[in-house]
Amino acid sequence: MGVPLDEDAVAEIYREHGPMLRRVVWRATSDANRVEDIVQEVILRVWRQAPEADNLRAYLITTARHLIVDQHRAAGRRPQEATLTEIAERDSALDQALDQVLVEEALGRLQDNHRDVVRCLYYQRLSVAEASARLGVPEGTVKSRAYYAVRNLRVILDEMGVTR
Amino acid sequence: MMTGSDDLHVLLGAYVLGGLSDDDHRAYSEHLRTCTQCQAEIGQISGLPRLLDLAGPEGGLHLVQPPPGVPVPLMKEPDDERATTLLTEVARRRRRRRTVSSVLGAAAAVVLFAGGAWLGPQLFQSTPPEPPTTHVTASAPGSPVSVDVALVTRGWGTQLDLECSGLPTDGALTLWVVDNYGKESTAASWNATGSGYTRLTGSTAVPSHEIKSVEIRTSMGRVVASART
Repeated sequence: MGVPLDEDAVAEIYREHGPMLRRVVWRATSDANRVEDIVQEVILRVWRQAPEADNLRAYLITTARHLIVDQHRAAGRRPQEATLTEIAERDSALDQALDQVLVEEALGRLQDNHRDVVRCLYYQRLSVAEASARLGVPEGTVKSRAYYAVRNLRVILDEMGVTR
Repeated sequence: MMTGSDDLHVLLGAYVLGGLSDDDHRAYSEHLRTCTQCQAEIGQISGLPRLLDLAGPEGGLHLVQPPPGVPVPLMKEPDDERATTLLTEVARRRRRRRTVSSVLGAAAAVVLFAGGAWLGPQLFQSTPPEPPTTHVTASAPGSPVSVDVALVTRGWGTQLDLECSGLPTDGALTLWVVDNYGKESTAASWNATGSGYTRLTGSTAVPSHEIKSVEIRTSMGRVVASART
């Protein structure tokens, strides 16, 4: 702790979190021209504030969220027209878009065999027995993988600041 | 199939995701009524299905094979050029390099060099910035004066770290700071050393971005070296 972030640290943040941030920003803004600018600004902000972040990923995502919301508001500002309700709806839609991307990210970070079980049981609505046949593993394995999959998913989402 | 308590515990995952047989579902529901550990865990993950639904009916990009031929440019690893742009910006914010020239007599224009000023994380008092550690010194041939100045932004103003060589060897010397409005103030004074070499630290209330130039003058007011920032 307490070590000022230097160029190496910034490059490391960029390498490790850049692709994820880019996806998040892209999905939330749908503005390909601005994705890289926003991603870099997010990383620079985090770097400038030199947070002793236990949870850099959540910090980056939260920063991105704020940045996007601010820009979103600035871009759509029509003082006479935008009611508070409209602003709230817009922000809420944005939050949902961000959560969607983050959930996808979280699924992407699961171990393959955990992700397979989530796909079978949740998205494809297979039974444990069917998933067992599909994946070629015993039912007991499907059950225990499902257990670790949901726990890990929760941990990953918490790390990303998705606390709902 | 008979299941012990440990086995039941593990059913939590499929209970939340779906897919338990009727027997297992019944057994786990029964277990859940009395197992405080499972109750606590399910409290933590009960929001998962709603979140998983956000990713769409098929779970989103990581669960679905992208159709072949569709480029996904944003999935690429960051390329070096982008990283370089970022790092350049970082370097710019971290350190203002100043190239300056110094005057000594008529002929010898001396290039003084440049210091680093940490302009970065002043906002965050909990993580004090380190003083600059990179100094660039240049001196023109034919002149003995070489001064390296680092301007360090502080909460109270600017710290000036000087490393000078080739200075006059007697008399008193003074470090002057000239701000953007032309106002002059002293930031340090010292007696010349026989070697002409001095390291010292001065200070001024003038913020570093308002410092226009830095000068070393003799007690007679002669400018020995000046550095425009």
